[in-house]
Amino acid sequence: MDAVSPLDEMVDGAGGFRPQWRSLLGALADLGREALAERAVLLDRFFADEGVTSLLANPAAPDRPAAWRCDPIPLILPPAEFDTLEAGLAQRATLLEAVLQDVYGPQHLLAEGLLPPALVHANPAFLRPCRDPVAGRAGPLLHLYAADLARAPDGAWRVVADRTAVPTGIAHVLENRRALSRHMPEFLRARDLRQHGPFFDIWQDALQRLAPGGAGGNPGVALLTTGHTNPLWFEHVILSRELSCALVEGGDLTVRDGVLYLKTLRGLQRVEVLLRRQDGRMMDPLELESSMAHGVSGLLDAARSGAVKIVNDPGSGFAEAPGLAAFLPALAPRLLGEALLLRGARTLWLGDPAARALVGGDLGPWLVRRAVDGTVPSVRPATLDAAARAALLHRVLAAPQDYAVSEVLAPSVAPCVGPAGLEPRPVMLRVFLVFDGSRWRALQGGLARVMGSGTLSKDVWVPAEEGAAIQGPGGLVVPALAIRRTSGDLPSRVADNFFWLGRYLERLESAARLLRASGSRLARPTPTPRELAELKSLSACLVRAELLDPEVAEGGATGLGSRPLARALVQAMREGGPVLGLVGKVSRMTDLLRDRLTGEMQLALHHGLRDLAALLRPGPAAREEAQGLEQLAEASHAVLSFAATVAGLAAENMVRGGGRLFLDLGRRVERAQAIVAELARVLDQPGAASQPARLEPGLRLALELRDSVITYRSRYLTVLQAAPVLDLVLADEGNPRGLAFQLATARDMLVDLDGDAGSPLAAAADQLLEEARGMVREVATATVQAEAAMRLPPRLRAMEGAMAALSNRIARRYFTLLPAAHSLGPAAPGGRLRGAA
Amino acid sequence: MIYRVRHTTRYAYGSTVDLAAHLLHLTPRALPGQRVLEAAIIAEPAASRLRAAIDHFGNHVTWLFVDTPHAAFEVTGDATVEVGFALPPPAAGTLPWEEVAALARAGGPAAWQAAEFTFESPMVQVEAAAGEYAAASFPPGRPVLEGLLELNARIRRELTYRSGVTDLATPVREVLRRREGVCQDFSHLMISALRALGLPARYVSGYIRTYPPPGQPRRRGTDQSHAWVGAWLGPAHGWVDLDPTNGVVVREEHLVVGWGRDYADVSPVSGVVLGGGAHRLSIAVDLEPLEATAGASG
Repeated sequence: MDAVSPLDEMVDGAGGFRPQWRSLLGALADLGREALAERAVLLDRFFADEGVTSLLANPAAPDRPAAWRCDPIPLILPPAEFDTLEAGLAQRATLLEAVLQDVYGPQHLLAEGLLPPALVHANPAFLRPCRDPVAGRAGPLLHLYAADLARAPDGAWRVVADRTAVPTGIAHVLENRRALSRHMPEFLRARDLRQHGPFFDIWQDALQRLAPGGAGGNPGVALLTTGHTNPLWFEHVILSRELSCALVEGGDLTVRDGVLYLKTLRGLQRVEVLLRRQDGRMMDPLELESSMAHGVSGLLDAARSGAVKIVNDPGSGFAEAPGLAAFLPALAPRLLGEALLLRGARTLWLGDPAARALVGGDLGPWLVRRAVDGTVPSVRPATLDAAARAALLHRVLAAPQDYAVSEVLAPSVAPCVGPAGLEPRPVMLRVFLVFDGSRWRALQGGLARVMGSGTLSKDVWVPAEEGAAIQGPGGLVVPALAIRRTSGDLPSRVADNFFWLGRYLERLESAARLLRASGSRLARPTPTPRELAELKSLSACLVRAELLDPEVAEGGATGLGSRPLARALVQAMREGGPVLGLVGKVSRMTDLLRDRLTGEMQLALHHGLRDLAALLRPGPAAREEAQGLEQLAEASHAVLSFAATVAGLAAENMVRGGGRLFLDLGRRVERAQAIVAELARVLDQPGAASQPARLEPGLRLALELRDSVITYRSRYLTVLQAAPVLDLVLADEGNPRGLAFQLATARDMLVDLDGDAGSPLAAAADQLLEEARGMVREVATATVQAEAAMRLPPRLRAMEGAMAALSNRIARRYFTLLPAAHSLGPAAPGGRLRGAA
Repeated sequence: MIYRVRHTTRYAYGSTVDLAAHLLHLTPRALPGQRVLEAAIIAEPAASRLRAAIDHFGNHVTWLFVDTPHAAFEVTGDATVEVGFALPPPAAGTLPWEEVAALARAGGPAAWQAAEFTFESPMVQVEAAAGEYAAASFPPGRPVLEGLLELNARIRRELTYRSGVTDLATPVREVLRRREGVCQDFSHLMISALRALGLPARYVSGYIRTYPPPGQPRRRGTDQSHAWVGAWLGPAHGWVDLDPTNGVVVREEHLVVGWGRDYADVSPVSGVVLGGGAHRLSIAVDLEPLEATAGASG
């Protein structure tokens, strides 16, 4: 087999180009080798920026999957050839569905000896709770199917693997096409390709039809993911957008009275179709092992009684067993009454004595695979040394039913951009099909993976024929959607994340403001006594914000201590410091909310955070204090401008299902808390009782930290008095940086959320607002304003506590997740000896 | 013999449980040699949803959901069953054990269901050491039932019954090393040993009659659930049940609930709760002989 050289996808072996490539050749020649190499680099960067991850686990760092890559040159398949593939794979999917229905139902194939028990009963993906031996299972158990194919030297494509559990890579197909449109425009210009869009219309439509009540009732469809730690999280995000369905985790779902619900802000909302993107064995902790973390207790019961349809069925992974391929040629006539249209790579299951006789003692010409576990990499004995080959043979003969062998194919090669120009490299094709309720329909294109290249792939092009009919969904009438504006459908978990994104963003901004104010004062060669007093107040604020060690702050009180203070502040912005810590928290929330942020917002956050981290992280330790303070100023400036950009974008363009409201609520609550906390500290000036002038630095700081100096001046010129300052900071609803604005906005949002003016949470915010106004009134009417102002700190601190309590109440009201599930350890049977009572 | 069995499981929770789901294998299945006269499941608090079905192995399985907050949960399986299993065939006339293993390996019409019980399962590793332990009873060509009876008797003789030294997670290898354990350990060991020889062996869950010490009345609720082994003799004779804990063949002092590959497939009561904190579990089993039926001996 090795003697045959692989087929070349582009050239025909007689010096000519295959017809489907001809239209690309001109553009290829125009670009030239160097430009092509540059484009390849641009494409790599595109995927790294978008966070598109590989289909393969990264062995070096399993939690950080490697970035996906796409070669600039597509793989082009003639339309007629693709249609043949589609027909063959549609038949194969139909066959696998029939096999699944038999295995999860009457098991005739086992009884007739057409399937060996070893491939079913010893297959860990055969899930016994999914079987109904009495009534059988209602299909489809398979809804989405993918096949990996290699083109043999004879020109025919052969199926080498079936993907029936969670076929992955569809989002990669979309991203590859998007990347090529952006970075290889001259390739796509004026070329008419079959489009991806219709496939998603068909898919979305098919999902709706799967609902127990049919598509008519506008059924709830959700995509189940294990969450942002899933290596293919980005694919789940993209699919949920393309299919317009909710992206949910096990923790968002609950089963009540045999019906599946999603917990949203507005309460439980029914889910009728669940597109699973996690291991079938992790779906229901009640009946399947190891599904505690990601499963939903009672889900299988709900599915069994028909209240929810899960696709692909949790047990569908069974059909991925490599050994099954050996039986498909015989099963097709039995189950479908026809022969296989598309050949698979020739496969033998070694549990069969006849197959063993055929292989004899020489595994050399074969590819050795585990019979029931497709995730174990196959082994090519011919590449092993004699000892390893003998050991493999020994293992295989000791448990032959655990192994299957397949013919070794020399897959076709396609041109890839390499350092020395175009290089032919072997490719493997993945094609995706969805069952529309009556037949299987393929995504017109696919994924070509370049073998032995790590994560490199190719977009697959199927040119459109002239006048080809446009495929669309089968004319299902979807009733007009009710117009929804409220945020009620937001899963509670998502609202919680938005709330905290808002809080962390605000916290980051406020940290930068404090550090900037302190840094500018420390930069003076000899601080005045007033500046020293301000520094002392600032230090107290820094300690409260956990940006400064209390001991250093203590030292900062004396003039001598300003040096360690400066060092500590510079350090706060560096690696391991609290500011980078906050950047990390914002970053984590952004990841978690990836599915909820618009592309623009996500890019702004992604790039902004990356630049911030790059600016803060390496920071060569400045020798000179002055230099360090300069860097501090620069860094605070960068943080503030990042915060301004994000705030602007959030106001303009972010809304997906009410997220903005919670983002904003988080900001308001965080800022309100910071305002009272900082004011309590800056008003705390010892000795001010006897000398009211001592309060001045505090008042000035209060304005500066709230960015309200200019507003104050425009109203009151340069005279600093307690009442007007406090009015601006605490009671003026028109000052967006003041407390009253935060509380009033928060109150309005809470009323909005509850849809009820009498919302108790809104009332609590109102009460705080009233209290703030009261404080300002007292100071304004006091004979000595400074004295009255000095009495405020304890009350402000109490208010800080009340604010934290309000935040907790908001969390309890809107975000409380379902309590954690745990399993009840079953009791071991005692099994006493007879008569031993 | 007719028995009434009552198997009560009670969970007392540290804090309120909001939502509970339980999976029960408490209803005995009908068999040749076992007639189920009455069977009921009683729960407190009452189930908000109760569903029953036949599982993959043909056992009765019940799903029970409670969605009202509760601090304790109690479920009882109450069944009246008539048992009297046929005598096994004469051991000397059964197939040589290698032939039984070969039939199981080949699968097909006569053996495909038995074949399922030759493979490793979640709680029963097929241990070479267990196979070696069994091998002494299975010299070449020996009729399979002869070997089975000997192995059944050897486990009773060579292992010590002791509760508290093993738990559900104790692997077969450890049981074999310690040579002690409870019925579930002995059953898993015997299953592992038989599967290592290629013989189909299944885990049977049920109850066994106990006798009070001489002169004392029978005490209620002091019984326990029990487990033993089903072994396959080939297509002609089918399955025979052997109790290695007591070294006997199952006749009319055992009551079968159901079977699976190992304990995990037929665990009497398991569940998942939301909330609840730590829980305390108590179990009471009562197997009450009602009357000897005509025709049953003893």
